[in-house]
Amino acid sequence: MPGGIIGAQACSAPLPPSAPLRRLTRFEYNNTLRDLANITDNPANAFPSEESGNGFGNDAASQSVPNILAEKYISAAASIASTLTDPANVGKLASCASAPLVGDEVTCVRSVIDGFVARAYRRTVQPAEADGLTQLFQKLRVNETFSSSLAAMLEAVLQGPDFLYKPEFGEPVPGRTDVLRPTGDEMAVRLSYLFLGSIPDDALRQAAARGELQTPAGVQTQAQRLLADPNARQVTAFFFDNLLPIAALSALERDKTLFPAWNAKIGSLMRQETQTFLDHEIFEGPGTWPGMFTAKYTYLNDELAAYYGIPGVSGSSFQQVALDGLKRGGLLTQGGMVAGPIHSNPTNPVTRGALIVKKLLCQNIPLPTGAVLSQVKVPEPNSAPTARERFSAHSSQPACAACHSNLDPVGFALENFDAVGQWRDQENGVTIDPSGNSPLFGSFSGPVELGQRVAESPEAMQCFARRWMEFGYGRVTGERDACALQSTWEKFKGAGYNVKTLLIQLTETDTFNYLPAVRE
Amino acid sequence: MNVLGKNKLHRRTLLTGAGSIALALPWLECMGEKKLAHAQAGTTAKRFLSVFQPGGTIAAQYWPSGTPEAPILSPILKPLESVKSKLLVLRGLDMKSAVGEQHQAGIIAFLTGSTQGPETVVLTDGGYSYYPSIDQIIATKISKNIKAKASLQMAVRWATGSSHGLLHPINAANFEDSANLAPIPPRLDPQQIFDDLFGTLTPAVAPTPGANTAPLERKKSILDFVIARYAELSARLGPNDRAKLEQHLTKLREIELGLSKGPVGSATCRAPVRANTTGYNPTTGLNSNEEGSIVDVSTDSMIPTVGKFMMDMMVMALACDITAVGSLQWSDTEAKHTFPWLNLHDHQHAYEHDDSPGGMAACTTIATWYSEMHNYLLGAMDQVDMGGHTLLDESVVFFGSELSLPSTHMKDNMPFLLAGQGGGLRGGRLLNFNATSHNNLLVSILNLFGDPRTSYGDPQFCTGALNGIT
Repeated sequence: MPGGIIGAQACSAPLPPSAPLRRLTRFEYNNTLRDLANITDNPANAFPSEESGNGFGNDAASQSVPNILAEKYISAAASIASTLTDPANVGKLASCASAPLVGDEVTCVRSVIDGFVARAYRRTVQPAEADGLTQLFQKLRVNETFSSSLAAMLEAVLQGPDFLYKPEFGEPVPGRTDVLRPTGDEMAVRLSYLFLGSIPDDALRQAAARGELQTPAGVQTQAQRLLADPNARQVTAFFFDNLLPIAALSALERDKTLFPAWNAKIGSLMRQETQTFLDHEIFEGPGTWPGMFTAKYTYLNDELAAYYGIPGVSGSSFQQVALDGLKRGGLLTQGGMVAGPIHSNPTNPVTRGALIVKKLLCQNIPLPTGAVLSQVKVPEPNSAPTARERFSAHSSQPACAACHSNLDPVGFALENFDAVGQWRDQENGVTIDPSGNSPLFGSFSGPVELGQRVAESPEAMQCFARRWMEFGYGRVTGERDACALQSTWEKFKGAGYNVKTLLIQLTETDTFNYLPAVRE
Repeated sequence: MNVLGKNKLHRRTLLTGAGSIALALPWLECMGEKKLAHAQAGTTAKRFLSVFQPGGTIAAQYWPSGTPEAPILSPILKPLESVKSKLLVLRGLDMKSAVGEQHQAGIIAFLTGSTQGPETVVLTDGGYSYYPSIDQIIATKISKNIKAKASLQMAVRWATGSSHGLLHPINAANFEDSANLAPIPPRLDPQQIFDDLFGTLTPAVAPTPGANTAPLERKKSILDFVIARYAELSARLGPNDRAKLEQHLTKLREIELGLSKGPVGSATCRAPVRANTTGYNPTTGLNSNEEGSIVDVSTDSMIPTVGKFMMDMMVMALACDITAVGSLQWSDTEAKHTFPWLNLHDHQHAYEHDDSPGGMAACTTIATWYSEMHNYLLGAMDQVDMGGHTLLDESVVFFGSELSLPSTHMKDNMPFLLAGQGGGLRGGRLLNFNATSHNNLLVSILNLFGDPRTSYGDPQFCTGALNGIT
């Protein structure tokens, strides 16, 4: 393998995989309530944001519980429980619960526990747990109505650890003492949150109950089915919103005099361009990761096409538009990708380069510290006509060059795009030279060829697999993931770097199929 | 090249991985244990408030003239004239520990005296703090499990810029004093804060239909059940996972204890007037994914109303013993919001970078307005009679920013103010510390609360408490 990313590593006896306790993210909480109880107003949007952690807000190691989050779990549970038990809805929890109550109250509560609570817990509710929940109901029922007491019980369920967290205890694997495997229910949870960001659907629960998730073939069948579910697209969109600099394009601030055409609407259209492009590529197109960087087309509507100066596009809906492959072509040349990393009116080749090198190549370039830091200054916008001249001067010092030689050429290749993603041939009357040579990518003539180099880079392909593992497993990857990454990458490569294949591969690793016997 | 090998150990991974107690030691050790003479029993401060104002100040319009014992307030500080006798202007304090990204390092060091933590996969400019913020140290000492809430963080028009509504080193000022040092997200919605804090004082919300049990008893029954379940489950987990559930459990226990410590109405403790904040979207940053501009004129126009309402609530939260420790953030270090009521329609950050006379004038106007707001807060605290003295008298209020001069982002000679008389703090003065590290101020504040340590934050930036503040 060129570059030898992983290096020689004995993968014959991989380490027991890590399986930290995970909590529902806001994204997952919203999806879960939607699928569990038809609550569609995204209650988790009121929760404080996750720490970005691994880049996707689902890093198990950085899931902290500030006071305000504990409070919000309580108030969300109260509000949802009250909705679920109001006269219009209570019958949906269990048909016996609609007024007038059918039969014995406790029997009815038990049926809510066996149905709704089991789905909320994503497993069978044990008899002792059911007794405990029933007792809570009965305790409240002394002074309160049936529905208020039932609401109290549901409040407890919805703020409890069995709902908010995804605990796993596993079951023995014949012949292995170092690992356990997830139970059928636990595997269903792993699969459904990976592909749908939500609770298992009926088909998955039934497959688990039939023991089908104990075999690789059974897991594969369900993985394929889930990836074809329309909701899987939300998960990939969420992944890319966090990986690429596109989530906040509508909030980019620019000087209105310098960039009269720029506005928040254009920003959100750019985000839509990249989202639509990726979604079509993965789910309807050839769907390879290198192909994203070399595609001679994108998805535009009339307004965004006019903004880019691309003629012949009419209508407000997004449609595939052929590109000339000279100025634009491939993901890197989409407006959001070049405007998103810029936080000023002049472009900054360093931040553009850093985005590609760090996020898409998984190269960790440390920020300057100490004595070097004190000398760091962003070049004055007027110190030279082009960014290449301004930044070359500042990063030619030996202390800077070691890192900047990796970052700056990549950024210079994108200098034909101004701070709002429009094409320019010149900066301050001087023709822009987008060619370059980077130790990471080799030489390129400009933005389109830079995309070509990324597409040819095994490091970039492996990085993409690693990013998916980080998101899919809710962790930061490290040495102990090297073997899983190696095998995933090899299969990804074998499939021509098809993204859907990669997603299925995520379910074939030891990390996905086992948990350590000794709990962390 | 080995990509995986370069992956740095994440702060959390490190801390949780090796057990929370053992790894808490490095920062505990450097905090020192020597007793200080002036922190006498019975005279320690009883409440702590920190107020963060973004963007520094304009030095020429800021520093008082006159003598140390009889300062003459400058144009920017003039609005604080009515509380001058309880105001201590601290000159010559440098935020030396603010090492890192120029804005982020400033807000992180403000209450921690810490350099900025290591970068992560996402926080490519750097992480959070290596030390807790002093408000959390104080909260554990005087508020946690004593008052209804250990501490209270509120922010007006927060997470405005590239953080897009998310908790980020560019907007985080408070850090938990547990081993994971988690940044604490502030409360943002003024109406929700009112309901949370004063709902029981003003029962405007109809009780759940059919809920006849006293609401408190009902909540307690549910919480008891939930707490038992957290305890049961965590006992079955490995040490790292258990630590996670136990953090949640600790917070639930605090909330449960707080249930019975709800505010009791009295001459001192009464719910503030609920302000009409229509037009203010507290999560306007969070919604940046949706269409719409970050320049939210409607929300920005409401900043003075919401700010005063939050200050009213903060004052009463202290007076009602809902908490003894609070933090108020005016925006964040990006401050990418406008000031329509000051006729400033560009955002503050733009004015900070504009060192023309017009930009400087705008920054002066903004800083002066923040002084007016701070005067409102201190004045309100000075109106609350705690039995022969005022709420302000028994408190310490620390006001500051993440940088000193906006255009350069310098962090020397910080615009720091103390107010109140808690712990014997003596106001009405201007003290010059001549390029002393602000870590010394942080340890001095802790001393006012009877905490005996002699150093705080990164020890390389701390030489001991300041002289002469009491």
